[in-house]
Amino acid sequence: MLMRKMIRDIKENLMAYTACTIVIIIGLMAYTSMSMAKDNLIIARDMFYEQYNFADGFAKVKSIPYTQVKKIQKIEGIDQVQGRLVKDVRVLMPDENKNVYLRLISIAQDEPYILNGVKLLKGSFPKKSEQAVVLGDKFFVANKLELGDMLTVVIEGKKIDLSIAGTGLGPEYAYTLKDGQEMAPDPEAFDVAYMPYDKMELLFNQKGILNDISFTLKSGFEFNDVEESLKAELKKYGLENLVARKDQLSHAMLEQELESLEKISGSIPVLFLLIAAIIIYIMLKRLVESQRSQIGVLKAFGYRAGEIMMHYIYYGCIIGLVGGVLGGISGTALSATMTRIYKDYFSLPDLYVRFFPSYFFTGVMLSILFCAIAAFQGAKGVLKLQPADAMHPPVPTFNKKSWFEKIPGFWAAFTVQGRMAVRNVLRNKGRSFFTFVGILFTFSMMASLLSLSSMMDIMIMEQFTKVQKYDVKISFAQPISLKESMREIYSLKGIKRVEPLLEVPVTLQYRNRKKDVTALGLMRHSELYTPVDTDGNIVDIAADGLMLSQQVADNLKAKTGDRIKLESIWAKKSPLYIEVSGIIPQYFGANVYMSQQVLLDLLGQGDFASSLIISMEKEFIPGLKEKYKTSQFISSIEEREQTMKKYDELMEIASYTISMMALLAVVTGFAIVYNTSIISLAERKRELASLRVLGMHPKEVLEVISVEQWILGILGIIMGIPLAFVISTGISKSLSTDLFSIPNVTSTAALIQSFFGTVFAIWAAQLWVGRKVRKLDLVDVLKERE
Amino acid sequence: MIRIENMYKIYRMGSNEVCALNGVSLHVKPKEFVAIIGPSGSGKSTLMNIIGCLDTPTSGRYFLDGEEVSKLKDDSLASIRNRKIGFIFQSFNLLPKFSAVENVELPLIYMGVGKKERRKMAIEALERVGLGNRIHHKPSELSGGQQQRVAIARAFVSKPSIILADEPTGSLDSKSGTEIMNIIHELHASGKTIVLITHDNNIAAQAERIIRIHDGKILDEGEVA
Repeated sequence: MLMRKMIRDIKENLMAYTACTIVIIIGLMAYTSMSMAKDNLIIARDMFYEQYNFADGFAKVKSIPYTQVKKIQKIEGIDQVQGRLVKDVRVLMPDENKNVYLRLISIAQDEPYILNGVKLLKGSFPKKSEQAVVLGDKFFVANKLELGDMLTVVIEGKKIDLSIAGTGLGPEYAYTLKDGQEMAPDPEAFDVAYMPYDKMELLFNQKGILNDISFTLKSGFEFNDVEESLKAELKKYGLENLVARKDQLSHAMLEQELESLEKISGSIPVLFLLIAAIIIYIMLKRLVESQRSQIGVLKAFGYRAGEIMMHYIYYGCIIGLVGGVLGGISGTALSATMTRIYKDYFSLPDLYVRFFPSYFFTGVMLSILFCAIAAFQGAKGVLKLQPADAMHPPVPTFNKKSWFEKIPGFWAAFTVQGRMAVRNVLRNKGRSFFTFVGILFTFSMMASLLSLSSMMDIMIMEQFTKVQKYDVKISFAQPISLKESMREIYSLKGIKRVEPLLEVPVTLQYRNRKKDVTALGLMRHSELYTPVDTDGNIVDIAADGLMLSQQVADNLKAKTGDRIKLESIWAKKSPLYIEVSGIIPQYFGANVYMSQQVLLDLLGQGDFASSLIISMEKEFIPGLKEKYKTSQFISSIEEREQTMKKYDELMEIASYTISMMALLAVVTGFAIVYNTSIISLAERKRELASLRVLGMHPKEVLEVISVEQWILGILGIIMGIPLAFVISTGISKSLSTDLFSIPNVTSTAALIQSFFGTVFAIWAAQLWVGRKVRKLDLVDVLKERE
Repeated sequence: MIRIENMYKIYRMGSNEVCALNGVSLHVKPKEFVAIIGPSGSGKSTLMNIIGCLDTPTSGRYFLDGEEVSKLKDDSLASIRNRKIGFIFQSFNLLPKFSAVENVELPLIYMGVGKKERRKMAIEALERVGLGNRIHHKPSELSGGQQQRVAIARAFVSKPSIILADEPTGSLDSKSGTEIMNIIHELHASGKTIVLITHDNNIAAQAERIIRIHDGKILDEGEVA
């Protein structure tokens, strides 16, 4: 019976309950989908790593004899060791325009899976000396290749045809990035390919030589325990890089994704459930007040306070249950979509859509719990209500004039409706505060999200228009004599300007803090590569000393004037010491800068360049690429326009996600404003109906409520501006990585857009409320005792 | 049946104290028809609330069927109301979203009467008050007199021994009022104890005994001739 009463009550105010339920659905959807997608990733990662023996540490050396690798195993704490030959090669694709690379990785025939095994997906492994590869499956699919197709690659300046024997995946390239400069995998342009060692050593003319070592640790040992001994052992082979699993690029990216899923799936749902809880609290409080006499009758006929209380708690439970179940179902469905999207980005063979009922049920329980508690809080007045009092309308409270009303002239500025609205704002402080907070939240979330999107655009635009002003960048496989290479390029057609660039991998150390970075040796007064600070001003490279980007300086906790230890495999003698001559606040790239001459002098290897940056006529670019496409000295030719295009595509996806989130903020804003308006309307039905009876039009009556909402709305928007800045700071902090930091800027455009978004949410809510006002049955309302 | 001894009810309103009942003692015998009469503010509604176990006295004792109820907790009072007392209010107090028959069923549901049985009992009760053809109407579709008849059906459907009627004809025209009083007389004839509260001498005159109350005190009790 009471159930029936509840259903009828809910039906009468369906829109308000629906709006509240939507807020829960959004929260639960985020929780379920992200948690399930996260678990799908974790399971796939763990299975892949375990079955294919993902290593604990990775080292790159110039060259180490095959026979010496076993020695490393003798270092205390090292369990298994695997040596490989790893070489990046250019692929000549029919579409000449694109730079396509493969990372060839040797596989030993006799012991194929010590570490970092290869999961074969299609075809078979090549025979011992077959000139064939197992190709990364994403590359195979993206380039629409067939088994048995030939790929032409450039090895040591020669075109070599490799046939595709099969496709596969490896755990160290679960997230396939060429290097740390890339932001997302581009399976059309880069992947790995596995090739028999016997064939590879011949093709690269590296008989018995390896350049890549991976190892596992004995249980009880940490990477730090073996780091120093390994360094000492590998130094003589030209150690370029030694990292623990946690810093391995693919693994680190995967972990970062998991971490952000964990963070968001923990915070977003709580936020939305809290909003829903507050809405329920207000609705129930109002419902109990309006049903005083009904409660009185129920009590008179013997219903206990606790039972009536339970009846109202059920309202919360039913909203929680419906929202929880729908949110759980849609979240489960969304988790499948998310997992499929992850499948596009991550090469994890066991990444399937799995469902975890535990998240569904936890979500539903959580949602019911939040709502039930909110309902209890809202309805607990029932317990105190004496049945005798319940029969009478509550004693009206009389309020004194607020200090606002005493401001001379202030009152005169309002119409009658305006005055009623202002009074109502001040009298229902709790509810006014909630509406205010809701609008504050809607506006500031939208503003900071939209800012984020536009700032990411700006950040990238700035990088390609202010910093990297060259049209083409030629990177050399090995550092090359500066003068000769410059002379050669200048001899080509269409060249406007050429500048040498020195990119040197270095390890910096200050006190006990270390950081691997790229030192950029720039020409003083360079025209084609000009680092800028966060204000967009060009930074002058100091004549001597080392300039750190803010990120690096923060990592090392170093400041101007500190002496830093610098190690590099390119230096004649290492380590070296150098003074910090400046710190540059920067968004993009964790680099350090030096004058090219100072860096060359420091390395003591003569004048050389690692790449050339070129400004040239567009029509001559294809010719340049054609000329050098098989050169053994050149590792890549990068066109700025193509790189920009790639970033643009990435930004599009990011903007889409951000717009969706901004839309959710509008929906939430709508739900809050609608609910509080409806409550306001219900509370003042009699008053408003009296105004109608006295001859006011529905529109004028609606104004009493809407002016109230607009006052709070405008206040919320104004206060939302500083809050948007605070949220932007939070977002920029949490999204910034070692590679780039998101600018902490709230843009005017975003503020304006959010203003309109928020206004729309309020307006749409008023529109619905307006319908209710028109439907107000005057006679009925006035007949009611309350 | 109802025995009240030296009862006080004091309301505090800020720093003021209002003494709504000032040492009231009262006795109502089983199957008696008593009218309590007094002007507004005399304390008659407070007295009725306490008799109906809707409220508790500040001091004094109240025995209902020999059981002292003045010291009972809310939950125990609730079950006494459910078992022993049927209420009729001046403003009917029907649940607006429920049909007539659903409103009448309300106390039965709480008593745990089965679905079919309670529907049967509710329809019988409505037929007894002459609303057999209106059972599915919502309160808003009924006239005041009809609404009060639904409220009366609701009051006696659970077969309580006492019917408390607070100004049952107060909101009705004289014709409807007469009809309602006829039903109340029928209930009395069928063996119910009736306590009726009114400020109307003509209505009070229909009871077996009149208790006059003024400023929280009982002035006199007299048999009606």
